Amino acid sequence: MHISEGVLSAPVLITGIVGTAVLAAATMRKMDLEEIPKVSVITSVFFVSSLIHVPIGVTSVHLILNGLVGVILGWRAFPAVLVGLVLQAILFGHGGVTVIGVNSLMMGGGALIAYIVWKQRYHFSFKRREFIFGALAGATGVGISGIVLAVALATTGEAFHAVAGAVLLAHIPIIIIEAGVVGACAEFLSRVKPEILGGQRLAPSTTAGSDAAV
Amino acid sequence: MALDIDRYSNIDSSISRWDPRFKIFALGILIISIALFKTIPMALAALVIATMIIGMSALPLHFISHGLSFILIFLVPFFFIMPFSYPGEAAFHIMGLPFAWEGLRYATLIFTKALAIVLISFTIFGSSRFDVSMIALQKLKCPKIFVQMLLFTYRYTYVFLDEMHRMHTSMHSRGFVAGPNAQTLRIYGNFIGTLLVRSFERTDRVYKAMLSKGYQGELHSMVKFHSSFQDIFKGLIVVGLSMALLLSDYAGIYKVAERGWY
Repeated sequence: MHISEGVLSAPVLITGIVGTAVLAAATMRKMDLEEIPKVSVITSVFFVSSLIHVPIGVTSVHLILNGLVGVILGWRAFPAVLVGLVLQAILFGHGGVTVIGVNSLMMGGGALIAYIVWKQRYHFSFKRREFIFGALAGATGVGISGIVLAVALATTGEAFHAVAGAVLLAHIPIIIIEAGVVGACAEFLSRVKPEILGGQRLAPSTTAGSDAAV
Repeated sequence: MALDIDRYSNIDSSISRWDPRFKIFALGILIISIALFKTIPMALAALVIATMIIGMSALPLHFISHGLSFILIFLVPFFFIMPFSYPGEAAFHIMGLPFAWEGLRYATLIFTKALAIVLISFTIFGSSRFDVSMIALQKLKCPKIFVQMLLFTYRYTYVFLDEMHRMHTSMHSRGFVAGPNAQTLRIYGNFIGTLLVRSFERTDRVYKAMLSKGYQGELHSMVKFHSSFQDIFKGLIVVGLSMALLLSDYAGIYKVAERGWY
């Protein structure tokens, strides 16, 4: 899911960096002191759970969960993804330093759109609503990332058209897996600790308990 | 799994003695210019320079090879995809697939550049303590909130890795086997949910403890940076070198043939 260093052309890299800077500035506005630890927690969980591998046939894919970050953090998902990617680049050399812009647009953009999808759940009411919308958000997160990745590759040069197509195909199983995992996770959290979830409309009585102590 | 990028930062070398602010800035410029290279000889020169820099940092070989094993997984497939998918003229066919030398050239360029960049970024963050690197970033006008998030995330990652291992053990001891089915996905969803809930409650406690010790969103540190003439000199050499390499790459002095190997 990462674009490696040295693949993309300079205009694509620069577009990525500028776009990321603008989105990061917009999504980090008015961030409270107490939000920093919360966002960091989700970032680390996002980072750690990318080490979980789900087997498909003879191979396995690791979870990406940018949709889940969107579901939990809302607009703050973007800085979270950015921080996660910077750390991955530093610790593993995954992705790379100059491609952080493009990679964050790809994964963070997916997370933001996943959040928009997740917010729509209040327009509906049916059994297992949280599961269905969590699954949709999970699928959208990865799906958007796959499309952005394919576009970034395709605009870099004709040489990458075949790779871009392969990337889109490879995303189909990942989309299905992410939908299942994020759906289950969103449903679980909405039962166990709904105040974690982003865009949560809480009844007045429940808001008092969790935040009063801080 | 040993993730600590700074576990060998205590090794004394001319790189680890370099003021982190200058180190991050100068080597950062070198990384960006390498990413922009377009010719293989320049990428090879960059790889040589990167090897020299990491040699100067005296970081142990197994630390570097461990880190490189991650990046190789991503890069090696390029050698198999690019020659067969490049739209240029096919030199010959292997099992019906057209093989283009231009594609192999591209793959080599990407591979060499990526390797050089990763070696340099290991040197940057492997040669000083992580918190010191982060404070240096803050001094380089990186947003304060962002630096704090990096620090928090870095620290929490180890806590959660431990937590995840414990939960994994308990799952397996109850007979869980991952498979390509809906049940596995549901269990992983609940697993991550539990990890989130536990982590949240833990950070809440940590945050309250921090508040009670006077945390106000500022990062205070005993670390003091001293820059000497040497630090600036090293920085100037690296920046000058990157500019020279980038200019000669773009001047095309190595472009002997229009469609040749360079």
